[in-house]
Amino acid sequence: MTRLPAAPLLQRDKLTVLIVWAALSAATVLAWLLAPGESPSATNLDKELVVAVVALGLIKCRLIIRYFMEVRHAPRGLQIATDGWLAVVWLALLGIYLT
Amino acid sequence: MTDAGSALAEDRSEEPAEPERKGKREIWIFYWLFGVFYTALSVGVCLLGRATPPPRPDVTELQAVAWFDKHQMGIQVGFVFLLVIAGGAAISNGIIGYFMKRMSSGKMLAYAYIAAMGVGAIPGFQVLLVCWLTATFRPDRDPDVMYLLYDLGMLSYNGSLGCFTAAYIVVAIAILYDKNRIFPKWFAYVTIWQVVTEVLASQMWLHHSGAFAWNGMITLYIALVVFGLWIVCFLALFRKAAAAETARTPALYELEGTR
Amino acid sequence: MTAPGRDLPATAQSSPPVRERSLPGGVDMWVMVLGDLFFFGCYFVTYMVFRALSVEEFSASQRHLNVGIGVTNTVVLLTSSLFAALAVIAVREGALRNARRLLLATGACGVLFTLLKVYEWHSEISRGHTIHDEFFGFYYVFTGVHLVHLALGLLILGIAVRELHDSRGRRPAIVEQSVLFWHMIDLLWVVIFALLYLMR
Repeated sequence: MTRLPAAPLLQRDKLTVLIVWAALSAATVLAWLLAPGESPSATNLDKELVVAVVALGLIKCRLIIRYFMEVRHAPRGLQIATDGWLAVVWLALLGIYLT
Repeated sequence: MTDAGSALAEDRSEEPAEPERKGKREIWIFYWLFGVFYTALSVGVCLLGRATPPPRPDVTELQAVAWFDKHQMGIQVGFVFLLVIAGGAAISNGIIGYFMKRMSSGKMLAYAYIAAMGVGAIPGFQVLLVCWLTATFRPDRDPDVMYLLYDLGMLSYNGSLGCFTAAYIVVAIAILYDKNRIFPKWFAYVTIWQVVTEVLASQMWLHHSGAFAWNGMITLYIALVVFGLWIVCFLALFRKAAAAETARTPALYELEGTR
Repeated sequence: MTAPGRDLPATAQSSPPVRERSLPGGVDMWVMVLGDLFFFGCYFVTYMVFRALSVEEFSASQRHLNVGIGVTNTVVLLTSSLFAALAVIAVREGALRNARRLLLATGACGVLFTLLKVYEWHSEISRGHTIHDEFFGFYYVFTGVHLVHLALGLLILGIAVRELHDSRGRRPAIVEQSVLFWHMIDLLWVVIFALLYLMR
């Protein structure tokens, strides 16, 4: 099924997952700071903040799927299926939240 | 994981020149009985007995009595019929047990499955039928008693937990350990969803309305979709497993003297 | 079950460093993952619909959650996924001892997550937030089902570690499968975290 990737590729993979992990952690903390009611300068921008939280969540999920679950090397059908799931779930959640 | 396609190709190449009749006759008979029983079960429970989609849990005793009155005919016809064919559950469990005994994961799991499903049929099937039949055949009884039968039937039907979860866990373990590849491994995971949704559904004892009541989105409808999916997959896989048996497939039982 | 790559160790070196498309983790585990994602998606949308029906109550209850613990747990789980991803790479490199250590580190993060979750549950329950509150009903169900998945994930990781111990039956496919399942736990948690803790 899979051929073993050569050593340089594996080294690059290691670096990639490290960067992805750092990005994911940073996005988590950022989403925390953005969440409504967290920052002291409470505003009535709650809806905009939640849109940002949803966008961050979507990006995080896609990073996990693409880089951790290695869907970026997977057949096209799986890529479409996972992207479709991401889009449907997050847009539905955001849509229901905003209405 | 091996490529399923290549495994299939291998199987095909090993077939003898003149193809034998696929499957054994008794397996096919049981396969069809399984399908007919589950179809009858769906018709009886959903269309006639009105247990799925279920009545509201948050009603008063008079509303419960009125509900029984309204659906008296359907419940009586559907549930009496189901009581008559209740043995179909045993046949359905039997054929699953048969294939589980073909697996390399051991016979004990097959026995555990059959026993757990057999015991589970009492709260999950018989108690519902008997409770609601009692209520419809004795409509002159105290509304409080009718109310109790209304609750008891439904909670028993949907809240019958331990036996089915045990049975599904046993199936999942058997499939994952099986080296004969009677069923594909992904079916074990589908079975695990069954376990999770069963456990989730048990909360309906605590809630009278909302997503977790007995007519709740999560406790009932999603659980029902999982169950429907599971049964459809099971039927399809049975077909394959039954077709994989030929007249040359060794029998499960040996004569006493030949051991 | 044969291991991908085990059949072709000699050709591996001669092959050009171009990656071909493959299904990491195998079809069976992907059926599980996609199905789980679908059903969890249904749960999430159900939650959001019920939330929309009583926004004030849900929002007020959500503010009782400790976001700090939520963030900590998210980072713990993300870190466990990092270890898991590195373990797969280590297996592909042939560094099986390393892979085993990384899988154990993954499991340790999973245990830490569980402990934090139990502490969180305990503190919520002791402050009187039980399933009689509609939001907390969802909270306990979602986190509970997720924790069940995590327990299953720990079991599967254990099988993979044992598989690596056994010198005869080294099956990298098992590691890929278990790690794929583990990433799914991480993925679901990211959604649950945003849904319950942040979207209020």
